[in-house]
Amino acid sequence: MSVRSAIVLAAGEGKRLRPLTRHRPKPMLPAGTKPILEHVFDELVAAGIEELTVVVGYGRSAVQSHFGPSYRDVPIEYVVQEHQLGSGHALAVAASTVEERTLVVNGDQLVDRKIVGDVISTHETDPDAVATLGVIGHDDLAEYGGAIVDADGTVSEIVENPTDDRTYRLNAGVYALEAEAVEAMTGVEPTAGEFSLIDGLEALVDERTVRAAASEGIWIDATYPWDLLEVAETLFETGTVTGSVASSARVHGTATVVEPAVVGPDCVINAGAVVGPNVCLGQNVTVGSNATVRRSVVDADSRIGANATAIDCVTGRGVRIGPGSAVVGGPGDVRVDSTVHRDERLGALIADRTRDEGGVTYAPGTIVGAEATINAGATVRGSVDSETEVR
Amino acid sequence: MCGIVGYVGVDGGADALEVLLNGLSTLEYRGYDSAGVALANASLSVHKSEGELSELRSTLPEESLRGERTGIGHTRWSTHGPPSDANAHPHTDAEGRVAVVHNGIVENYQELRDELTDAGVSFDSETDTEVVPHLIASHLETGDDPERAFRRAIDRLEGSYAIAAVVAGGDEIFAARNESPLVVGVGDDGHYLASDVPAFIDHTDRVIYVDDGEFVRLSATGRRITDADGEVVEKPVETVDWDAEDTGKSGYDHYMLKEIHEQPTALRQCLRGRVDELAGEITLEDLDGLEHDGPIQFVACGTSYHAAVHAATICRERGMRANAYVASEYAADRIPVDGETLVVGVTQSGETADTLRALREAKRSGARTLAVTNTVGSSVTRVCDDTLYIRAGPEIGVAATKTFASQQIALTLLAGQLNGGLSYDAIEALRSVPDQVQTVLDTSDAKAVAEELVGSDAFLFIGRGLAYPVALEGALKFKEITYEHAEGFAAGELKHGPLALVTDETPVFAVVTGDGETARKTISNIKEVEARDAPVVVVTDGRSEAERYADYVLEIPATDDVGAAVVANVQLQLVSYWVANLMGRSIDKPRNLAKSVTVE
Repeated sequence: MSVRSAIVLAAGEGKRLRPLTRHRPKPMLPAGTKPILEHVFDELVAAGIEELTVVVGYGRSAVQSHFGPSYRDVPIEYVVQEHQLGSGHALAVAASTVEERTLVVNGDQLVDRKIVGDVISTHETDPDAVATLGVIGHDDLAEYGGAIVDADGTVSEIVENPTDDRTYRLNAGVYALEAEAVEAMTGVEPTAGEFSLIDGLEALVDERTVRAAASEGIWIDATYPWDLLEVAETLFETGTVTGSVASSARVHGTATVVEPAVVGPDCVINAGAVVGPNVCLGQNVTVGSNATVRRSVVDADSRIGANATAIDCVTGRGVRIGPGSAVVGGPGDVRVDSTVHRDERLGALIADRTRDEGGVTYAPGTIVGAEATINAGATVRGSVDSETEVR
Repeated sequence: MCGIVGYVGVDGGADALEVLLNGLSTLEYRGYDSAGVALANASLSVHKSEGELSELRSTLPEESLRGERTGIGHTRWSTHGPPSDANAHPHTDAEGRVAVVHNGIVENYQELRDELTDAGVSFDSETDTEVVPHLIASHLETGDDPERAFRRAIDRLEGSYAIAAVVAGGDEIFAARNESPLVVGVGDDGHYLASDVPAFIDHTDRVIYVDDGEFVRLSATGRRITDADGEVVEKPVETVDWDAEDTGKSGYDHYMLKEIHEQPTALRQCLRGRVDELAGEITLEDLDGLEHDGPIQFVACGTSYHAAVHAATICRERGMRANAYVASEYAADRIPVDGETLVVGVTQSGETADTLRALREAKRSGARTLAVTNTVGSSVTRVCDDTLYIRAGPEIGVAATKTFASQQIALTLLAGQLNGGLSYDAIEALRSVPDQVQTVLDTSDAKAVAEELVGSDAFLFIGRGLAYPVALEGALKFKEITYEHAEGFAAGELKHGPLALVTDETPVFAVVTGDGETARKTISNIKEVEARDAPVVVVTDGRSEAERYADYVLEIPATDDVGAAVVANVQLQLVSYWVANLMGRSIDKPRNLAKSVTVE
């Protein structure tokens, strides 16, 4: 019996991605020009999955309206997790739809079909395994989940954010599970009100055979919002995304698109503008005359004014960068709450529907919240809260 | 509205009962009050009942009906006689040799009924349809073969109809159409027949659109379509692009809420390739440079009429002589029409009988006609000289939402196309509308407002200029799905009568956008109701001081008049939805209503 169905976990906000997650969950943030979740679906469909169950919660209408009732002819069932009590709880919410073995995949990290395929084929060759988890080699596991894998390929231990110097493989968040494993993993008591999938997995590793599928596939995670720039670069480098200009986009004869760059549907690039390299313009983005956009992810419906500069810039949806404004590029220190991230390669991060009136200068590493207004000629630095006005 | 489905399958083909019941369930969204099926072999098995499809299912002796290959089915929305088992279709003759399903109205049924009654026929129902099986039976008795008997019966009918019939002992379906939609599906396992493509789209996407005055004879492997004179008509088999999955609710509780959330996408589709901000041009590919400087008459019904009022207002602002008419009144009104006139019919389904009738009349008077519709291949596209599609995608909720927004935008583009194009600013504003609608969907306080105001005595909606049709549509949506009393008025009309309705139990929704004279005058009208203690809800972009007089504010992004009309309406859609939801109404299938109204 092969694995035909997948449960995709897409209910969590991803708080570290604020302020971009104001109205949508992390899986709907752009990796290139498509939501992270759409990449995940692409890879699952390519790996032969015929049924998708998506657990939605925070900002769920963003997911439901984007994908509708099916994706590339694969039907999608939406299961609502009303309160986000962790990934284990999310799986429990979807568990009633599980009748046979299934894949479980994180919807907020990019995995390729190779990892998915390796997990499926490894699981199918070991009748003793109740669960198989995809693992990859990775340099820095401090932010992620690690697995100790024995010589025979079984998982002997699961450790979150490991700091000791044992040899860990990174847990890629792709699991093949027998129905009984789902049952065992969702029967665990929550710790501190949150109920992680990892708690269930740890319990399973102690009692049953859990296999690791070592893979050379691509795995990418955006931990912080400015990581979206690196994600886009990686997608270009690995050939996952190739440069393209949508047929419904309009590019003026004197404008230049420097490869690699993606220009989405309905975009307009005015005379003399230079877009690229490493630029992703979501749908219906407008770039004004003689503007420069380089190494940036510009989300849908945003407008970059005439003569503006946007370098190392991440925008949410419907952002207005006014005429002559300058996002001059990183590196800079990025301040999030009380933490300072030194020398990040970020020009500015500007969240949904913030509008600058023009002639605004953004110091490297600036973060502007959603629906803020920046008056003409202002200089912004550090972090600006949502819905504020900067004079 | 009534739905028809039929199937005649090859040996080893699909189970007819299953095809019919599934087909009827996909037509449920059109609204109905009773349903029935007839399966044919040596004899006929007819089963029908009042109420939901589940009622019919529960009364069916399903086991004994399995394995049949030929049948017809129907969902009925009452026009003649109340919903009842007897009035449900199919109808049969006295001996049960002929079963008939019918959409539309037989206008001369009383005359035919009297004639049959005089000949000794007794009737079981109060419907107009029942004359048809009796007529067919009377011709069978005189020795006609079934096809000839069917044709002779249909020839006697006046009015609008899509009719399908089966005869005992045969494995064929006979059908005919006049001013009511009918489509044949060509499958590998037989032939399908329906009033609407979704009824058989699970089985085949190859279709033949039947035209007015044509007759259809279907067997498992053969089909013959003939005109009124009996001459064979060669009809193209077209492939329809309609994803059956498109009709799921995608995790929303109701189709209506799903469709409200689909509006940004629908509007992008409507605008795609039609506005060019680089060149400052609009191109409506379907209309190929059509320009017009004569009078323009928009005809439409219900929500589409409100879009027509929007369109006529914009045309007049641009100096064109334009008016909007309720289609059912259009003919009665004797509006002057001539060869210089452009008559624009606005109909989501493309099958609205009142609108089709108005367009046919206009055409007879020599007018140029243009259809603005959501449905490719629908009747209106064949009646009119030109067609502009609004590209909103399938809409299942009976209360129109996304199709209204797409009509507003498509008609704005049409107004631009007809004289002189649109300005750069107007094009930029149009391109921003999808995101502004998304902003409202992301941030709306409509649910909280609904919770405060549910249970009020009545709900009034006012607006001026382009906000006037929004007020009308806001009230229509509200009454459609909440069943509460709601009325929309031109803001200035309030003091000429409706103000007598205003109390502290009648919330007034005022749409106020911009900061010009229009806004200032509407604010004066708000003060009139505020002075009478009515709770005031303003839908505003915050550019005027309207908020000062409001008890509740529903905010929209600042934009131009056209964008504001689209976006403000979304707030009112959400208020209606949440009030109806709190009241536990049947939101997707409101009582007494039908999705596309194919009778006049």
